[in-house]
Amino acid sequence: MLMFIARRLLTMLGTAICLTFLVFWLTNLAPNLEKIAKTEAGSRITDAEVESWLDKNGFGQPLLVRYGEWLGVLPGWTTTDESGAVRGRCIASGQDPAEAPRFCGILQGDWGYSRVFREDVASVIGTRLALTGKLMAWVLVVMVPGALILGILAGMREGSRTDRVLSTASIAITATPEYVSGVVFIAVFTSSAVGLKWFNGSATSAMDDANLVNFTLPVLTVALYAMGYVARMTRASMTEVMTAQYIRTARLKGVSFPQVVLRHALRNALIAPFTVIMLQIPWLLTGVVIVESLFNYKGFGWTLVEAAGNNDIELLLGISVVSVVVVLLTQLISDVGYVYLNPRLRLS
Amino acid sequence: MTHTTKDRAVHPAALLYAEEVKTGHMSRREFLTRSTALGVSAGVAYGLIGLPVPARAQDAAMTPVEGGTLRMSMELRPTKDPRTWDWSEYANFGRGWLDYMVEYEPDGSLRPMLLESWEANEDATEWTLKVRQGVKWNNGDDFTAEDVVNNIKRWCDGTVEGNSMAGRMDTLRDVEGTNQMRDGAVEIVDPATVKLHLSAPDIAIVTNMADYPAAVVHQSYDNGDPAANPIGTGAWLPEQNEVGVKQVLVRNPDHTWWGTAVYGGPYLDRIEYIDYGTDPAAVLAAAESGEIDAIYGTTPDFVEIYDGLGWAKSEAVTATTVAIRFQQAAEPYNNRDVRRALQQAVDNAVVLELGYNNLGLVAENHHVCPIHPEYAEVHRPPVDPAAAKAALDAAGVGDFEFELISVDDQYESASCDAVAAQCRDAGINVKRTVLPGSTFWNDWTKYPWSCTLWNMRPLGVQVLNLAYKAGAAWNETSFNNPDFEALLAQANSIADADARREVMAKIEQVLLDEGVAIQPYWRSLIRHTATNVHGADVHPTFEHHHYKWWMEPVN
Repeated sequence: MLMFIARRLLTMLGTAICLTFLVFWLTNLAPNLEKIAKTEAGSRITDAEVESWLDKNGFGQPLLVRYGEWLGVLPGWTTTDESGAVRGRCIASGQDPAEAPRFCGILQGDWGYSRVFREDVASVIGTRLALTGKLMAWVLVVMVPGALILGILAGMREGSRTDRVLSTASIAITATPEYVSGVVFIAVFTSSAVGLKWFNGSATSAMDDANLVNFTLPVLTVALYAMGYVARMTRASMTEVMTAQYIRTARLKGVSFPQVVLRHALRNALIAPFTVIMLQIPWLLTGVVIVESLFNYKGFGWTLVEAAGNNDIELLLGISVVSVVVVLLTQLISDVGYVYLNPRLRLS
Repeated sequence: MTHTTKDRAVHPAALLYAEEVKTGHMSRREFLTRSTALGVSAGVAYGLIGLPVPARAQDAAMTPVEGGTLRMSMELRPTKDPRTWDWSEYANFGRGWLDYMVEYEPDGSLRPMLLESWEANEDATEWTLKVRQGVKWNNGDDFTAEDVVNNIKRWCDGTVEGNSMAGRMDTLRDVEGTNQMRDGAVEIVDPATVKLHLSAPDIAIVTNMADYPAAVVHQSYDNGDPAANPIGTGAWLPEQNEVGVKQVLVRNPDHTWWGTAVYGGPYLDRIEYIDYGTDPAAVLAAAESGEIDAIYGTTPDFVEIYDGLGWAKSEAVTATTVAIRFQQAAEPYNNRDVRRALQQAVDNAVVLELGYNNLGLVAENHHVCPIHPEYAEVHRPPVDPAAAKAALDAAGVGDFEFELISVDDQYESASCDAVAAQCRDAGINVKRTVLPGSTFWNDWTKYPWSCTLWNMRPLGVQVLNLAYKAGAAWNETSFNNPDFEALLAQANSIADADARREVMAKIEQVLLDEGVAIQPYWRSLIRHTATNVHGADVHPTFEHHHYKWWMEPVN
């Protein structure tokens, strides 16, 4: 088991390095760097000034060297300007160059500086991830029980009217992307045009103080989409279990139907949905990008949009690392949990 | 409200202007702008034309209430050196703790703020500024003539990348040499008096100090983030400063604001600016949710919706506009015939109707507005799509695909769509590109053909100095025409409206002949606020005068 986890962590590291390098390469293409120079030093500077600005600010070195600086395996760049002052990647403004550390990459715990938000990347990601965490937590609270109940009710008696109705409903909500359902919800439940006005169409105030009025719609928009999918999986798993021989035996022995479902079928039927739910989490992270932008909830997804729109290199890299960790960590939990839930796998 | 001592002689030009108003040669608004710019107080100015000073409507009806939190939608940008501010939003946050020398009022007059009064000599080459006494910085220092000089010196520094104030202070600068303030241009007469010696007549020098990059900073300011160490004379302090998310101003409890004794206010305890992006539907959702009490500006399509919500509407007629300009450094816009042909294909009235719901005035492609004092009527070539197409064919770009770039804001985008559609009707191949605000404004001066928002300036010459003068920081057309330069310099030195109008007619003609831009309409600005918000009417130049704002408590 320990070997397995260690192997997984190594995969995670490898994936993170590959992905961040890819992001690094894309954000450091020449036109992107030119854009950065122009935002920082003024949009009217000449091509020669762009070059000199890039050189002065450490962008002139080879790509791999700069990537190494970001990782913290190579020493950060330094330059001496005309007045003799030494500036560098690792030298904070006002700091004595002699006292500054040589290395300052993520290995040293320095995630860099976000140009868009004018803040340390670590603190931007920290704040925004916490907000998205809050959203995701409520999504899971709504989605998991909802999906399981729907799936179990539908899968109990395959082909019954309940099954047909619930299956149709879950297919319908899964087939509706967030950007459709979100807009429909806003139009129906928040606007004066329809007149219901039950909820808020903006979740900005939910960042400080989430309540039923301002947080329901974003949570529901993300949850519904995933709910249909998980419900379908639960149903499939449930119908399979319900046709197993031990269920028939239990029924023949005279155990009541609810007893059969709750005592005998449920645990076995939950193994498949558990994996699906864990795999759903990284998938939800992409849905969050849309929902957060739609409802102006300034979390991780919104930050990603802002960072990408402004080619904020270090923030994008930080986001990539976090995404890789979230995806692979949930997969790890899902695998470990699967083994735990299924004794047959534990023995092999 | 009298700031010039009564027994001092009124500037002779102001008397002339008053005559012009009486004979109908000058509008009242224009008169107020021009006479207060010469140092005549608003009270005296109104008196010269035989009118009482208008009380603000709410003053008559209600007494302002202290306290409360006002939340307003606004795009929030990173704080930076005030003189490099290129967007009103920067200033509206900074106004919390930074005051201005003078303030441009919605009625067109100039209100003395940190300057108590000012006076020009006959040909507007020598200005005497009186520094308001008793003003304290929030760190306890006195505001003195030294501070005035320090700020003028900062504004004059043309070596700072993006310092647009330098262009406004040209008559105080050594433009050819050091690119700094001229020696002897500014003289401290006594701790309460500063004298400006201009290199040429400049009628707009004090008016320029009301523009939003002219926030007055303390001598210890290090040109970095002004919110990091917010020393200012203003009544509030920045509490939260999260770019793109939220910026909060709170009343400074340890500071007595000078303006309370002079103008009253401030009333609000907190002002929260919240960013909802550029989508007006998101702002509407926030307004309907009760997350905000006022919106920054209402886009035309949404006016009826906010009216329907029962929000109070305020409207300001302005010289704010969009310039769908050509970058003359880029192919094929370096050809004058191409630019003129594209202008000729577009009926500006249609653009106003489709792009801005007819909420404004049709403009004439030369960026001088009828509400500007020196506006002159010039003949504009008629709209003729067939001739436009023929001219483009003749120029060899009949099959060229023109690309028209705009930001994704609603009316700018809609206006460009209206322009592109008319071009296509004329048989011209036009592609539209819409970029998000965060991307678009990084490169706004660079695009070959794109749409730029221009705020109004009180005088017609001001915006021409900023946008079309060769080498100006915001010259986005690369326009560099010797005739224009000479005429503009001449216009800048003529204080008399009628005399300047003659030069202006020639300037407008040059701009038309050179086809600088399709400048389709002058916008009316609209803002909606919740009904309990008072004093926060929309300002023609988007300025937020926080000290006038107050709210009735909601029961």
